[in-house]
Order: sequence, then structure tokens, then C-alpha cells
Amino acid sequence: MSTSVTSGEPGTSSVEPSRPGGGTASRRLAGSPALRVIGRRVLIAIPVLWGVTFLTFIVLNALPGDAATALLGANATPAEIRAETIKLHLNESIWVRYWNWLVGLLHGNLGTSLYYNQPVTSILGQRIPVTLELVVYALVITFVVSVPLAIFSARRPRGVVDRASMVFSMASLSVAPYVLALLLILVFAVNLQWFPALAQGTGGDIRDLTLPAITLAIPLIGFYVRFLRADLLEQMSEDYTVTALAKGLSRWKVLSRHALRNSFIGLVTVIGLNLATLIGATVIVEQIFGLSGIGWELLRAINNRDVPLVEGIVLVFATIVVLVNLGTDLTYDVIDPRIRHGRSRS
Amino acid sequence: MAVPVADALSPGLPAGDVAAAGRFSRTRGALRTLEITIPAAVLLLLLFFCFVWPLIYPVPKPTGGSILDSGLPVGAPGHIFGTDNVGNDIMSRILYGGQVSFEVAAAVQAIGLVVGGALGVIAGYFGGPVDSVLMRVLDVFIAFPSLVLILAIVDSLGQSELNVIYALSVFSIPAFARISRAATLRLRDQPFVVAARLSSVKSWRIISGHLVPNMMPQLLTFSLLGAAVVIILEGALDFLGYGIPDPAPSWGKMIANGQTMLSVRPSLVIVPSIFLFVTVISLNLLGDGLRARWEVR
Amino acid sequence: MTGPLGQRVRRRAAPSPAAPSAERDEPAHPGSGPGGTPLLEVSDLRVRFRSRGSVVNAVQGISFTIEPGQTLAIIGESGSGKTVSAYAMMGLLPRTAQVSGSIRFKGVEIVELGERALQDHRGRNVAMVFQNPERSLNPTMQIGAQITEAVRRHLPLGRQQAADRAVELLRMVRIPAPERRCHEYPHQLSGGMRQRVVIAIALACEPQLLIADEATTALDVTTQAQIMDLLLDLQQELGTALLMISHDLALAASYAEEVLVMYAGRVVERASARDLFDRVRMPYTRALIDAVPRADLEPHVLLPVIGGRPPDLSTVTPGCSFAPRCPDAQQDCRQQAPPLEEHEIGHWWACWHPCGSEAPGDA
Repeated sequence: MSTSVTSGEPGTSSVEPSRPGGGTASRRLAGSPALRVIGRRVLIAIPVLWGVTFLTFIVLNALPGDAATALLGANATPAEIRAETIKLHLNESIWVRYWNWLVGLLHGNLGTSLYYNQPVTSILGQRIPVTLELVVYALVITFVVSVPLAIFSARRPRGVVDRASMVFSMASLSVAPYVLALLLILVFAVNLQWFPALAQGTGGDIRDLTLPAITLAIPLIGFYVRFLRADLLEQMSEDYTVTALAKGLSRWKVLSRHALRNSFIGLVTVIGLNLATLIGATVIVEQIFGLSGIGWELLRAINNRDVPLVEGIVLVFATIVVLVNLGTDLTYDVIDPRIRHGRSRS
Repeated sequence: MAVPVADALSPGLPAGDVAAAGRFSRTRGALRTLEITIPAAVLLLLLFFCFVWPLIYPVPKPTGGSILDSGLPVGAPGHIFGTDNVGNDIMSRILYGGQVSFEVAAAVQAIGLVVGGALGVIAGYFGGPVDSVLMRVLDVFIAFPSLVLILAIVDSLGQSELNVIYALSVFSIPAFARISRAATLRLRDQPFVVAARLSSVKSWRIISGHLVPNMMPQLLTFSLLGAAVVIILEGALDFLGYGIPDPAPSWGKMIANGQTMLSVRPSLVIVPSIFLFVTVISLNLLGDGLRARWEVR
Repeated sequence: MTGPLGQRVRRRAAPSPAAPSAERDEPAHPGSGPGGTPLLEVSDLRVRFRSRGSVVNAVQGISFTIEPGQTLAIIGESGSGKTVSAYAMMGLLPRTAQVSGSIRFKGVEIVELGERALQDHRGRNVAMVFQNPERSLNPTMQIGAQITEAVRRHLPLGRQQAADRAVELLRMVRIPAPERRCHEYPHQLSGGMRQRVVIAIALACEPQLLIADEATTALDVTTQAQIMDLLLDLQQELGTALLMISHDLALAASYAEEVLVMYAGRVVERASARDLFDRVRMPYTRALIDAVPRADLEPHVLLPVIGGRPPDLSTVTPGCSFAPRCPDAQQDCRQQAPPLEEHEIGHWWACWHPCGSEAPGDA
């Protein structure tokens, strides 16, 4: 299954047999097809990254709407506007501006936030950890719940657990994140008072992060349970699972020890697909729960017409997506032993 | 006869098969149909409710309500779903908000289907540098977190229903392009297409006569599933305040406005949420059901 | 030594006394002989599958026994029910299968056994080797791990001991450099070697019955012979009974002591290999024998094939199931199904009008 970014099909890159006679692992790696594959993927990712930077800049700067006027407000005098325009370099052609920005980017300089008057990078540095914690928390919940649930479903197809989880999955994929968030707040914060509705601390407090993480996790669980269950069932119709059953293992063991290993490989390729939706949901969730992460900051920056900051955040998001997709492609190549070891026959 | 050893379902069962299938083919067929007809009926009902009902029945206006009427609960006489805190009738806001959701979804998917579908077919059929360029461009768009870019676009262009449609189309076009390109690639080397190509049939004829009709089922199901996503996204835009401009009602805005009264009057949030959920899940179920029906083995 | 079909036959040594085995509670069983308790007793086994509104009668009442250390072959076309019977003996049939009748392993009834007990039964008492070596092993798991998993399932061995046993098993199935192989993945091995690994897994806990379901069908002829020789050697070493399931009559002739022929879910003939080929009775078996390509036939002669198709198992017809295709079929054949009876000592058949002729030639 190919992922979007690198557009190469995992596993179909030219894999030549490793040197005859085997040899030590290090020797195998050095001349191995693995490095070649990695190199190729990275190479493909670069133009995509560039395209991302380009698109970001164009969208935020080439569209109608005068940043200077918006910043200064409707009451600004023409002179003030002109001064601001010059200060923001808005009078220069868009290509020049793009070039300057790109150069700065490559030096690690994302400009200065107009609102905060600090380097964009330092602001991002403060906000990213919060978002990171939230996302990691959500992913942990997701996998802790989806994997066993998928196994239970696959163990008895059409059984009670299976039907229930399919219904749940469909429902969770049809709920909008904002609706889900408010629902959870209504039940758990307002009525049961187990968790706060708005973040109390400055971020990092588990209690603050729990409801938001659950909000993010539920649609993900819906997706992954469905996917894993389908993949596990496919694995169960493969011959090797019959061999495993013939050893005297229970279905559960066969699913979790044999089928799951093979399904994970498929899972890795799918992770990247969800990323865009996850980011969108994160923006909404941070807003609703008052978490000061980059999603929340993005909305604020847009509101304040803080163009450099918006650029920086959008770039960060897009880069993450590209890198994650690249990472999953590479991981796929590594964890599938068939690809890792080439096709050597003794 | 293959021995069904591991009690697995037949290979290739699509993940969307939620059908409570019985053991016998008749029951199974009937339930499959139910899987499609029920969501379809629900959607038709909703469409009727949103678009036709106001023409027949004197529905109160969704905006400009009197403050004297505010805060009426669900079930109040003359206001089935109550009124909001400025006195607008909620049911009518649901109605007109629903119109927006359906209009936007239909427009975005139509644009995506036509433009994106065409791009994908062209890239897939003709291949070569056109295809490579397109693939890279698609990759860039798919790499972009959509909500973020959509926010930026709408903010730059200004808020209006039309701009929302444009902004959302920026993402539905690549999505359709990807699907139609994949389908084209798959169909291109089928014997009947190859035969046509070899007989010097004009390209556009092949495309319109052979490729497109065979892709339609797949594109159709994708449209439905995509429409569900669009409705949620559009709601998100409204929720954040970047979507349909005031005073026009929309489900997302109703939910956003109801946020502050969540503990006191949850119905302000719950009612539009239910409509949103039912619409989306019906679209998903219908799309899934059709896909299961039409899946080519 | 050549057999009745002109093929190479393996000289069978007298069954050896029990070989020393590792870590077993029960004493090794004695060699086979008439009058000993049978290892496996199948009585009137019937298996039906319900699928999509129709019922498939895969197995329609078969009965036979397997003695300890015996080599039995079940021969039949696809759809004859041979594989389903094997799976029934392993307890591997899905819940959609309705099983009736009796399968007794050393006196213990398998048919109604609960899942837990079946899991203990599989791999310990009976093990199976499958058809496709390419797909029978988990591609993402090392060979050694797949073997030790089988070992530790039934035997109380520690990790190191299990690992040692895995190496020992690989050596036993004649895989060179077994220690290295343990850390390799299935795709790094050839088809023949993978099949050996599958055999090693099957024999990990020294089961008393090994079922080889078309185990050599997917292999080339040379490898096929190697694997069969291996199986027979192991059989002698370990005293395991071997049940070969195949459509290949020549294979059965070469390696089995006794042969069962199945058709449409029933046993239609049963005899020792010698008797079956020298004095074939069932027209179906006769046709199968005739269809085997032989070295002593004239070149460019058409092979006699059996016309028609195997019957539809979802309908039950009166009369012999082979009657539509049988060249010798008569009126009574179509009206009543002949029962399987021991018409001569050690030779059962189910036919109203069996062939009385001798098999052609004997090299």
C-alpha cells in the first residue's frame, strides 16, 4: 500500500540479492539495498518539502488582503500604512520576498512574530511541547484500546464484540471533533465533574489533557479498529495461521502473536493518512479546551494577522506530515524482514 | 471446495461491512439492501426537510428573532426545538443551516469530481511527465493539513459561502484526482480498453466511453464519503468563526454559540449536533454500503 | 524395487522398537501389529458445512482405523472429503461445520471435545504438514522461534532447552547448518527446506500421528522423493503413524502400507497397497490407476481420463455417487448406494459390480 508523500510502493524498490555467502550483518548493511532505498525516499521527499514551503508562502502572501492595513486597523493614515508596508517588505515583489523567507528558513530563522515581537521559533518552542504531549497521550490511548479491541473482534467475526465494535467504529468516525469535545465536557466535566472543562495549569497536567486526548483518540480508535480487524481477518485466511493453530495455539494467541506482526506492517503505512485530520482536530480541540499548543496559537495568529507566525506554524505542520510519511515508508522497509534481508537464497 | 478452516470470513470482505448478515443468502441480500435504503431514506428526508419543507410550511425566520421569545425550551408551542438566546427559532435555524451544509457539500464534491476527476484521468491515461508532475503536486496538497490551509484561505479571501466552497475545493480536487488516477491506471490495461486503444479509437472517446463509466461507481461512493468529511470540515470552519458569515445560520455556528450555555441549556448544542451526526453517519453508511455492493473482486 | 505402477518403491524395513524420546511422560508405544489398540478410530464420520443457504455434505460416513506406526494413504480428487476428514482429526474445523460420528484417539473421543482440550490435542497427539511451504510459515518470524513456539506449547522446557531442541529438530529433518538457520526467515529458505521446517514443527512434540496433507504436491519430483524418504525415516525412528493425503496414486503406491480411496465424501475402496494395485475392484480406483502416466506405455498414447465431473455435494442422490461417470454402471448402481464391506480379507470395497481383473503388468 503506497503512502502519499513519497509515492513509491513500499517493497518494490529494486532489491538485489545480498552478496553470496552471507557474511556479518554489518557487511550486509553497507552494500545493502536498504541504504539505497532510504536515499531514494529522502530524495523524493525534498521536492515535496519545497513545494510545501512554496505553497505556504503563496497562500498567505499572494492572496488579496492587505496585511499592513489589517495590522494597523482601519483608522491608519496612508502614511502610516506606507511605512508599515515598507517595514514589512510588502512593497517588494513576491518572488523576492519568497526568496528572502526561504533563505531565512534554511538558516533556521522563521522571522519575527508581529504580535509578540519575538522570534517565531521561540514561540513555537513554547507551544509545541504542549501539543506534543496531547498528541502522544491521544496516540497511547488509541493503541491501547484499538489493538485488543481489534483482536477481540477478529477472534469471533460477527460475534457480539465484533458487531459492537463495528457500530462504535462507524459512529466514532461520523462524529465531528467539536461535537465530541462538547459532549465529553457535558458528561464528564459538567455533570460528573471528573475532569476540568478548561485547562487549569499551563499545560502538561494530565487531568487537563485527558478529555482532549480522548476526543482525539475516539475517531482514531474507530479508524484503527476497523483497519486492524480487516487486516487481521485477512491474515487469518493465510496458511501460516493454520500452521499456528495446528501447533495447538488458541485463536487469541495466533492473532496476537502471528497475525498482528504482519498486520502492523500494513498499519505503519496507514498512519500517515490520518495525520492531516489529526492536525485539524488538534486545532479545534486545543481551542475548545483552552490548551496553549500550536493549534491554539495558529488560530490566534490568524486572528491577529500575524503573518510570520502563521507561516511558521503552517510550515511546521506540513513538514511534520511529510516527515512522518517519510518515516513510515522507511519503517516499513525496515520492519518487514522480507525486504530487510533481500531475497537471498542459500 | 476449499475448507474454511480458520472460521475467517471470505477474503476481501470490505471493512465497512457492518451488516448483521444471517446465514442464508436471502436474509443477507435483504439486509444488504437495508444497509443502503435506510441511510438513503434518511438523507432524502433531511433534504426534504431542509429544502422543501420551508416552501410548503410557514417556517419562522431563522434570524431577527425577538428577545422576548428567547430561551424557550424544546417542545414549546410554535417552536419545536425551542429558541436560542436571542429569540430565533431553533428549528428554522436548523433548516436553513442544513441548506448551507448540503449546498456546500454538493458544490465542493461536484467541483472535485469534475475538475479533480478530469485531472486524474488525464494524468493516469497519458502518463509520462504530465503524470509525474501531477503526482508531486498532489503529494504537496495531501501533505498539507487541510484545515490549516483552509483557514488561511478563507481568512485571506473573506468570509462567504462561496469562498468556503472554493477553499474546500482546494482539497477535494486533489483527493478526487488521486482516486480517478488510480482507477484509470487500473482500467487502462484491461483487455477491453487495450483493444480500443489498439483499434485507434480516439483517446477522448475511450476516456468518455470506457473509462469514465467504469469509474463512476467508485467515484460516486467516494463522493458520498467525501461529502461527509466536507460537512464536518465546513462545520469546523463555522465553529471557529471562519465560515459562513453572520447572520446566516449554520450548524457549526449554532454549536459554537451554544458552547457558553452548555451547562445551562445543553439543547442548544445537542440539537444541531444530532442533525450533524445523523447526516454524516447516513452519508458514511450509504457510501460504505454502496461500496460493498459494487466492489469488484 | 519397483511397484505395480512401474515406479520406484521404498523398501520398508520392519517397524523398529520404540526410539528413545525426549521428555515424555508415557512409555513409547510398541510397533504395529494386528490386535493392538488402534491409535485412531474413525466411525461413521460425517461433516456438513452450511454456507449461504446451502448445505455441503463434505464427508458422508467414513470409518477406518490407524494402527500405531502405520502408514496409511487416503487418495481422492479435490472435493472427495479427504482434507476435511484430516482437519476433523485435528479438531481444526470451523464452527460452521457440523460434525457427527466418532473419532477416537487412543480411546478419547475428539468430536465433541471443547476448544481448550482440542488445543492440547493438536500438536501433541496429532500434527499436520501442509501443502504450500511458501505460505505455511509466518514470514515475519524467525524459523527458530516458530519451532520453539511449538515445542514450548506442549513440553515443559525452558527457553534454552527449547532452543536446543529446535536445533536438534532441524538436524533431524536434515537441514544443514541448523544453528544458523534458526535465526533466518522463511523467505531465505528454498521450498524443500521450508517443508522440512514445517515437518520439524509438526514433530516438535513427538506426536503419535502425523498427517501429511498433500505435503509434497507443490514440490518438484526430486524434492518430493527426498521429503517422502525423510518422512518415512522419521517414522521409523520415532514410531509415528503417518497419514498421507494425496491425489497422487503413484505416491501412495510407493510409500504407503495401506490405501483408502475416497470419492464424494465416502470411502469406496480400502486395501493394502499391494492388494489395491494387484487386485483393484472399484472401477473408480481402476480408472485412477489407468490415468497414471507410466514409463512402459507406448509413446503418444492418449491417457485414459475419467469423464464427467465430481458430484455436487450439496445434494444427496440415491445410488452410488460414482455411477454417472462409471463405465461399468448398471441399473442397480443408480438406485442404491453400495455399502463398504470387507469382501476379501484386508480388502474393502463398495461396489455392486467390481472389476475382477488383475492389474496390468507387474514389473
